[in-house]
Amino acid sequence: MKTVTISSYHQTFTLHPSGALYWHETDMLLIADVHLGKVSHFRKHGSAVPASVISHNFEKLDEVLAYFQPKVLCFMGDLFHSYLNTEWLLFTQWIEQVSSKIILIAGNHDIISPLQYKRVHVDVTDEWQIGSVLLTHIPEKREHAFNIAGHIHPGVRLQGLGRQWLSVPCFFNSPDQMILPAFGAFTGKYILTPTIHDNVYAITEREVIQVNRT
Amino acid sequence: MNKKEVQQIALDWFDRQGWKPFPFQKQAWTTFLQGKNGLLNAPTGSGKTYALWVAIVLEYIKKHPEYRSKHQPGLKAVWITPLKALSVEIKQAAERFVNGIDVPLTVGIRTGDTDQKERAAQKRKMPDLLITTPESLHLLLASKGYDKTFKDVTAIVVDEWHELLGSKRGVQIELALSRLKTIAPKLRIWGISATIGNLEQAREVLLGPDTRAFHHSVLIKANINKRIKVKSIIPKKMETFPWRGHLGLHLLEEVIPIIKASKTTLLFTNTRSQCEIWFQKILEKHPELAGEIAMHHGSINKETRVWVEHAIRNEQLKAVVCTSSLDLGVDFAPVETIIQIGGPKGVARFLQRAGRSGHQPGKESVIYFLPTHAIELIEASALQKAVKDKIVEDRVPYLNSYDVLVQYLTTLAVSNGFFPEDIFPEIKQTFCFQSITEEQYQWVLNFITIGAQSLQSYDEYKKVEIDADGKFKINSRGVAMRHRLQIGTIVSDAILTVKYMKGGFLGSIEEWFVSKLKPGDVFTFAGRNLELFKVKNMQVLVRKSNKKTAKVPSWMGGRMSLSSEMSELLREEMYLANTSLGVSREIKALSHIFHKQKQESIVPDPSQFLIETFKTREGYHAIFYPFEGRFVHEALGSLLAYRISLLSPITFSIAFNDYGFELLSDQEIDMQQVLDNELFTTDYLSSDLRKSLNATEMARRKFRDIAVISGLVFTGYPNKLLKSKHLQSSSQLLFDVFKEYEPNNLLFQQAFIETFEHQLEEGRLQLAMERIAKQDILWKICEKPTPFSFPIITDRLREKLSSEKLADRIKKMTIQLEKS
Repeated sequence: MKTVTISSYHQTFTLHPSGALYWHETDMLLIADVHLGKVSHFRKHGSAVPASVISHNFEKLDEVLAYFQPKVLCFMGDLFHSYLNTEWLLFTQWIEQVSSKIILIAGNHDIISPLQYKRVHVDVTDEWQIGSVLLTHIPEKREHAFNIAGHIHPGVRLQGLGRQWLSVPCFFNSPDQMILPAFGAFTGKYILTPTIHDNVYAITEREVIQVNRT
Repeated sequence: MNKKEVQQIALDWFDRQGWKPFPFQKQAWTTFLQGKNGLLNAPTGSGKTYALWVAIVLEYIKKHPEYRSKHQPGLKAVWITPLKALSVEIKQAAERFVNGIDVPLTVGIRTGDTDQKERAAQKRKMPDLLITTPESLHLLLASKGYDKTFKDVTAIVVDEWHELLGSKRGVQIELALSRLKTIAPKLRIWGISATIGNLEQAREVLLGPDTRAFHHSVLIKANINKRIKVKSIIPKKMETFPWRGHLGLHLLEEVIPIIKASKTTLLFTNTRSQCEIWFQKILEKHPELAGEIAMHHGSINKETRVWVEHAIRNEQLKAVVCTSSLDLGVDFAPVETIIQIGGPKGVARFLQRAGRSGHQPGKESVIYFLPTHAIELIEASALQKAVKDKIVEDRVPYLNSYDVLVQYLTTLAVSNGFFPEDIFPEIKQTFCFQSITEEQYQWVLNFITIGAQSLQSYDEYKKVEIDADGKFKINSRGVAMRHRLQIGTIVSDAILTVKYMKGGFLGSIEEWFVSKLKPGDVFTFAGRNLELFKVKNMQVLVRKSNKKTAKVPSWMGGRMSLSSEMSELLREEMYLANTSLGVSREIKALSHIFHKQKQESIVPDPSQFLIETFKTREGYHAIFYPFEGRFVHEALGSLLAYRISLLSPITFSIAFNDYGFELLSDQEIDMQQVLDNELFTTDYLSSDLRKSLNATEMARRKFRDIAVISGLVFTGYPNKLLKSKHLQSSSQLLFDVFKEYEPNNLLFQQAFIETFEHQLEEGRLQLAMERIAKQDILWKICEKPTPFSFPIITDRLREKLSSEKLADRIKKMTIQLEKS
C-alpha cells in the first residue's frame, strides 16, 4: 500500500488507498460514506444487486483497521444507507470484534435511531470539534477551523495526450478542508473541478497519487 | 356460407368503392380462410390493411351466419402496430369496411395514450378488434384473467414487422405470441413487412421455428414494382466542399429550386438537431417560404405533428424537414419529391423514404441525395447501384435476450401467476429462445425468486414468490405496480417537457441537453429561439428570445452503421476511383480529393489494405481502412487495440466511421511489430474480442438497457421520474459490481454478447478479416492527415482501451483547473 502523508493546521494526516484518513495526533481513523445496507435496500425492492458486495465492505473495513490499529474509529456520516434491515445484524456482529472506540458523525442517510447505536456502544453526534479540526458530514467552512467531511463522494476527471481521459475517486484537499472519498463499494462519485488552491489525491487499488495540474 | 360466398361480400364492397382488389389481397383472404398463418410482404400504401382485416371479418361472417342480428361479444382480433400514431388510421380503415358491409363489429385502440376511463371500459367489454402496441399487449398480459380476454381471439396481425424484428420489441412479440398460441386455440398469426433481405427468416421468427404454426403458413408477396430515380446533388465547387461534417448546409441553395419545382417535398435528416438546423436555416435564407414549410420530428408535440401531417395531405405545404418520424405510416399523396440529407446508411431505409413520393399509379418516385461531406459522395454512388440492383439488407433478430425473458416472466407472475413447466416449452418454441437450456431457464427463475443462484442468509430479496402449489406469483402490490410501470424495452433518457412560462406546451427534450444549460441561455427548439427560465418538476420553462445565436440540442440516438451490403458497394465504388472505366458522376466530382489523397498516401485497390500513420500535436495516429461499415470497425478496432496492448502497456483512444478506424495514443505504435505478429489473424477471434470488450466501455453502455428492461434499475413513477443521471449512474454502478462480484450473471454476460454479436450479422467480422488476410498490407507513413483520415480523426465520440496500470496512467495525466 502506498499512502501519502500531509500536514495542515499543524496536524498530520495519512491518506490510504481505501479512502480512509488516519489522523496521527489523535490516533484516529476517519472513514466516510460506507453506505451499509444499501445493497439490502435494493434487493428488498426487487433489484438483485450481488449480495457479496455486503461482505466486501466489512472485509475492507477489517483490512484498514488492521493496517492503522487506531484508538478511535470515526465514521464521517452515511454509515447506514436506509432503515434497519438485515445488514444491521451483520454490522452489530462486526462491531463486537472491533477494539477501537467508534464514533458516528450522523449524515443525511443515517436515519437509524441513535438508541440503536447506543446499544452497540457507538456514540452519535452531528459534528465534532477537536482543537482547530472540525469533523462534519456535509462539508462546511468555519473560521479558524480545518474541516474534514464526506457526503460529496468526490472524483476528478483527468486528461492526457492522445485524447485520453479518466475519472477517479479522490481526496479533495483545500487550504481549510479535506473531503474524503466514499469508502463503500456500491457508491458512485461526483466530479469536482479544483482551483489553484486545491490539492487532489486520486485513489487506486493500492496507491494514493497526487494529481498533476496543467 | 362457403368461402366463395363470403369472399363475394368483400368483392361487392370493393366494387362499390370503385376499387379492384389486388391479387395479393385475394390471396391473403383465401389463405386466411383456410386457417393458415403467414407473412405478407407489402409496402406502405398498398392496401395491406384490407388484405388482412377483410379476411378477419369474413371469417367471423362465415362462422356466424346471423352476424347482422346476433353479435357475438368478446375480443376477436388484435392488431399490433409499432407506432401509436398509426393506430387512428388503421381504426378508420377497419371501420370503413365493417360499416360498409353492415357488420356490427367494434374497433378500439389501446396504447400508452389511452386514458384510464377508456381502459376500464375496455376491461368490462373488449372491442371486437383491438389496435395496440407491443408494450400495451404485455400490459394486458399483466392483468388478472388475461387468459379469458384472449381465449376467442382468431387473429393477431403484427403490422410493420420489419421494424420490430431487429429490436427487443420483436422479442416481446415472440414471447406474447408463444403464450397466446396456448390460450387461444383458434389463433392465426399474420405479419406484414416491407421488403427486407431476410423475409423468410422474418416469417420463421414471427411464427416460431419448426412449430405447427410455421409449417402451416404462407409468404405472400405483393410484388408492387415501383420505379425509383436517384439523383445526387453534386456541389458546383468541389474545391471548397468540406472534408468532414454532417450538416450539409453548404448545399442549402441547391435544395431551394427543387422545393420550388415540386408540389410537396420531404427533406429527411438523420437526427433531430440536424432537422432543427435545416428548418431554421432555410427560413433564414428564404423568408419567402415562411408558412409553406414545416418541421416534423419525434420531440415535437403531438398536436403539431398531426397538424403537419394533415397539412401535407391538404397540399398546404411546399416542404417538410423531418426525421425518421415520417418513415412509417400513412400516405401523403401530394409528396412528389424526397431529399435525403446525409448518408441514409442502409438501402432499405433509403428505398422506404424514396417510396414516400410519387404515389399516384404509374408515377416514379424521385429521391435526391445530398452529401454532407466530400467522401459521402462515394456513398451516393453506391446507393445508385444498390437501388438499381435491388440490394436490400437483413434485419437481424435478437437471440437469448434474458432481460426481456426476466421481464416477461415477471409479467406473468403479476397477473395470473405461472407454473414454470408450462411456460418452458412455450418459450423454447420462440426463435429468440430456441436454444435455451433448462439450466439457463432455472437461472432466470432463481433470479426472479431469490435474486441469486443460491439462498443467502440474512437476505430480504423480494420479487416473485413461489406458492405452496408451485405457482410463481407476485403478491406484493408495490412490486406489481413498479413492474407494470416499467414494462417495455425502449429505454430512453429522462424526458422533460418544454413549456412557455405563460403556458403552452412546445414538446419534449432529453434531460441531458437541458442539464448543460444555465438559466438565460438561448436554445433552438421546435423552430424557435427560446430562453431558458428555469427547470422545475420535470418541466423546462422558457420564453421567446430574439437572440440570433442559439444552441441546438443534439439529441443522442445511436449512430447507424452501413449494412454489409452497402459496405461492399462502397468498396467497389472506391476501387473504381483508381480506374477510368465506369466511373459515376459522383466519383468524378471527387477527383481532386483523390488527387490529394494520392499525394500524401494512396487510394487502395481491391488487393490492398491501407494503413496510415502520422503524428499531430494530439499524439500518434494510426488509421486502418477496411471499408466494412462502422460496426465491423468498432469490433476490429477494439480487437486490434487489444492485441497491440498485449505487446507492451499502452493506452488507446479509438474512433470509427464507415470507412475505417483510428488508434490514437500518446506513444508511437511499433507498426512493424504489429505486422510481424500477424495481429489480423482470425485465430482466437471470439475470445480476443471478448477480452477486448472487457477492456473497453462498450458492454457497459449496453448494460444500461439490460438493467432497465430486466428491472434491476427502476426508472421511476410517472411525473416523478428519477433523474436519468441517477439511472445512468446506478446502472453503471451495477455494471461495476457485477463485473467484480458476479461475472457469471447471465444479464451481465448478455451485455457482452449483444455488443457485437447482435450488431454484427453472424460472421461478418470473420469474413472481413479473411478478406483482409488475402490483401497486401500497405503501410504509409504520412507527414500530415490525409483526406480519407480527416473525418475519422476529428470524430469526438471515442472508445478507449488500455493495458497500462491505472496508477501509471494517472501519473501521466493532468487535471484542468477551474478558471478563477
